[in-house]
Amino acid sequence: MNYDSPELREQLAAEYVLGTMPLLVRRRFERLLADDPELRRAVEDWNARFDPIDYGATVLEPPARVWRAVERELALPRASAAQAGWLGSLAFWRGATLAAAALAAAAVVYVGVRPTPAPPSVVAILSDDKGEPGWIATRSGRGGDVDIAPIRQVALDATHAFELWAIADGKPHALGLLTPEPGHSLAVQAALVPEHGVLAVSLEPAGGSPTGLPTGPVEYKGAVLQRE
Amino acid sequence: MTDSPLLLQELLRKTAAGDAAAFATLYKQTAGKLFGVAIRIAGRGEVAEDALQECFVLVWQRAADYDPTRGAAMSWLIAIMRNCTLDRLRRRARRPEGYAAAESTLSRLVAPDTASKGAEMRALKHCLGELEEQPREAVVLAYLYGLTREELAERLAVPVGTVKSWIRRSLERLRRCLDR
Repeated sequence: MNYDSPELREQLAAEYVLGTMPLLVRRRFERLLADDPELRRAVEDWNARFDPIDYGATVLEPPARVWRAVERELALPRASAAQAGWLGSLAFWRGATLAAAALAAAAVVYVGVRPTPAPPSVVAILSDDKGEPGWIATRSGRGGDVDIAPIRQVALDATHAFELWAIADGKPHALGLLTPEPGHSLAVQAALVPEHGVLAVSLEPAGGSPTGLPTGPVEYKGAVLQRE
Repeated sequence: MTDSPLLLQELLRKTAAGDAAAFATLYKQTAGKLFGVAIRIAGRGEVAEDALQECFVLVWQRAADYDPTRGAAMSWLIAIMRNCTLDRLRRRARRPEGYAAAESTLSRLVAPDTASKGAEMRALKHCLGELEEQPREAVVLAYLYGLTREELAERLAVPVGTVKSWIRRSLERLRRCLDR
């Protein structure tokens, strides 16, 4: 292939960022990138065109084991991530001497130390039979409710309802009806979500299952993730 | 969280100098958003966790490569997160079945939580809106969920060659529209 053609270079950079290249083609392209600064710029430009989408991604707290694994793999001194929250950044900014950027820094300090609530942690991701996630169950803080919210809009006619079930030892237990529109969520007491169970969403007649057991097809399900 | 670009930039600079505390703060400030990106693409917690771990190992090793004149620190982190997730995804077989997407993919694009990205998001949505429906579907599904050409072909019930040319033409049209 003639990698000098500007059209081809632009096209490869775009498809690399979109992510549709097969793995081997990605690898080959990355070797080209390594000593082609101009091509790296084309990739950066494509990242900037698409990344507003990722800035809009839902904030989800990863399990603590991920950070521990990073620390272990890099053999970092145990700089506790717990201390390194917003208090940590305050201390950091106190120590920083950025005289020239004093005004800008003041604005940043305000943003940096505003006590933001901890992001929710993931309890389960409920996917359809194609593996596409439809609902996410999260919990904020210790002992709080579990919130089940749609990840995207799902079409549902007025004669049907989505009903949420907790399944433990093969027995379904009704948890409530879900509204399949972003911005809506169902709060469920954490104690009702089984630790080694499954959360499932079935399609039921409007108003929910008349029998107390799922009567329609299971549209989404996901195992409850183990807590730290 | 991600609305303090100067803070993230400074944390990355300190990380490059080997400051483990700054690195831990960087993780605290950004891992939630990056994990959200990884879960959306991977669809599975365990793949996203491995990808997030790999991403931060790379961030520690390559922090010195970050060039503030070329974009926001968060954008640099997002690019690494996406690459780690896509690499892991490509190493496994997944989702062989086809499916018919009924809903509009544009409705899945959520407004960014960073004010400065709002205008860029509006422009992107506008330009995506100028594409024809199926090619747009292919582009958005690929970026959101990391689908391969073959998976896209299966889902949209068209030959792989059609997906390839849709993507090629759509990306070219997008670039012209966004650079206007």
